[in-house]
Amino acid sequence: MSDLVIAHLYPYEMNIYGDTGNVIALRRRLEWRGLSARVDPVPVGAPYDFAAADLVFGGGGQDRSQLQVAEDLQQRAAAIGEAVAAGTVFLTICGTYQLFGRRFLTQDGREIPGIGVFALETLGGRKRMIGNIVVSTPWGELVGFENHSGRTLLDPGQAALGKVNKGYGNNETRGEEGAVTANCFGTYLHGSLLPKNPSFADELLARALHRREGKVVALAPLDDRLEHLAAQAAARRP
Amino acid sequence: MLRLVLATALGRAAGRLSRLLGRGGSALPGLVAEKVDPRTIERLVAPIRHGVIVVTGTNGKTTTTKMLVAMLESEGRRVVTNPTGSNLARGIATRLIEVASWRGRVDADVAVFEADEAAVRTLAPRLQPEVIVVTNLARDQLDRYGELATTAAHVAEAVRHAGVAVLNADDPLVAELGRAARAVCFFGAAEGIRRAMPHDSSLYGPGEDAAPRPLDVRLERAEPDGDGQVIELSVASGERRAARLQVPGPYNGYNAAGAVLAAVTFGVPFARAVGALEEVRPAFGRGQVVEYRGRRVKLLLVKNPAGLNQAIRLLSALPPGAPVLMAINDLDADGRDVSWLWDARVEDLAGSGHRFGTAGLRAYDMALRLKYAGLEAWSEIDFRAALDRFADGIPEGATGYLVPTYTAMLRFLDLLLPGTGRREAWA
Repeated sequence: MSDLVIAHLYPYEMNIYGDTGNVIALRRRLEWRGLSARVDPVPVGAPYDFAAADLVFGGGGQDRSQLQVAEDLQQRAAAIGEAVAAGTVFLTICGTYQLFGRRFLTQDGREIPGIGVFALETLGGRKRMIGNIVVSTPWGELVGFENHSGRTLLDPGQAALGKVNKGYGNNETRGEEGAVTANCFGTYLHGSLLPKNPSFADELLARALHRREGKVVALAPLDDRLEHLAAQAAARRP
Repeated sequence: MLRLVLATALGRAAGRLSRLLGRGGSALPGLVAEKVDPRTIERLVAPIRHGVIVVTGTNGKTTTTKMLVAMLESEGRRVVTNPTGSNLARGIATRLIEVASWRGRVDADVAVFEADEAAVRTLAPRLQPEVIVVTNLARDQLDRYGELATTAAHVAEAVRHAGVAVLNADDPLVAELGRAARAVCFFGAAEGIRRAMPHDSSLYGPGEDAAPRPLDVRLERAEPDGDGQVIELSVASGERRAARLQVPGPYNGYNAAGAVLAAVTFGVPFARAVGALEEVRPAFGRGQVVEYRGRRVKLLLVKNPAGLNQAIRLLSALPPGAPVLMAINDLDADGRDVSWLWDARVEDLAGSGHRFGTAGLRAYDMALRLKYAGLEAWSEIDFRAALDRFADGIPEGATGYLVPTYTAMLRFLDLLLPGTGRREAWA
């Protein structure tokens, strides 16, 4: 089987904390099963054909980078929209997740347009939502760390990724976290989400392989005991 | 005046009470004094004859401060400095109260204070430093410091209040601070060493290097030598001097260059400043070697990806088979978010042949990071159990390497040198 192609959106601009950990996890979990991956960095301004990618990953960034990225993302809106419609797997985190919504309204009233893959808006806030977070999803319990001041509001009908058991999630009031549209996932669980949540990592890989091969590709089970110990330890921390 | 006397007296009393309660030298005296007289720091530093030097930056503050103090003392200057790590206003106030006379007078030639890079913005206008040294700026615990751009802006504010800024020319964010300075001078390193010390934007992408600048002090070479290294420094006139440092790693070569430049701007002759480096012992946990059950344990404190990369570089250069214990805590002082472990180049250890263990509240996170880099590790959450297992694995006469985050280091030092860790925690 040829390499699974992972496009890493804005790897230099949107990599605020541990985001490369997610790409490392995807790659290693393929390699441990005798499969392989090719990672294409897609920095601001570089042309990229999203039809070539099986899985697209985008992380969180500093405010300054997010503005730069927002402009660049507008140029790619149509191509990304087509890829989502075609079932390409996307994992978007924090800043990239927000920009995959309709718009971001900053605290000082500026509007940063998103690309509208998700039916949601984000409002800049004063309070930062920081801490370990636990979310129930159809793919099991996800454990991660969140650190954001944006409050994300889903439109009625927009599916969330899961329900918050501990932490803040999209905003502090509704108990929802993230968003899912087709094979496109959005979440505030930044940094090393996939290493500590191997079932979710495998779900993304399985979907990407399924779409590419046109049939279900069985992923051999791995020894994930250490992954679960790390997730349990994180879930107990404030 | 009366208020300052009262502030000093009450602060001291609070310190004595705290020691009686077994809490060691706490930050309490400073806190109490600042409540009584919010201008305690300003008033106490005012009579210091040659003023204040502030050392700030992400990594290397403590070691640079120690080096600078040694240089100034070798010139016969009376120096006041804050003990390791107590680098917020209350720690500085506490130290000043300790050394002040009952009338609130500090008898010293010069004060050298390390300042937390987030606190330095408000500290600098209070201290009005003659010199500010900025070691480097890299991403640190995001939940504590926020974004790096914000930290850089805070340090730029501080630089405006200093007479002279002593800046690392090889770190683009630091070099950029020269624009905010009243007067500026630069230290840096020769090409080969510079490549061994990647700056933040080059760690996270193809970031641009700092524009080349004429250097006032240049690190010409840095070669490992036992637990330390031999470095050679030069000044613009072409004069070169070598010294053996007791601390390893090119990053400490940079710290030495920064300290020498600050000392020279303060009138210490270049040769004397370099000579004084030889006597500087490793600061608490920063390359410090401790004996434990007849084994040598070397501590390499790590606080952020840049620091962990320095430790990794050092470990990669060792002969294979070294026992390494990585201890990760996630308390406030460590940063609660441990995702930074994924930003360090742990993969560089893959061929090292070292034997790894992990400890601390997030021992499994570290073990997982090692696993995804292709390395196996044992894990013990408990510090005592981890330390004993680690020590058992150190062959007689060999050295084990302990790589802890801040609060994990305090816990280990409590076990290795009973009493020390706690004193530090309250400093």
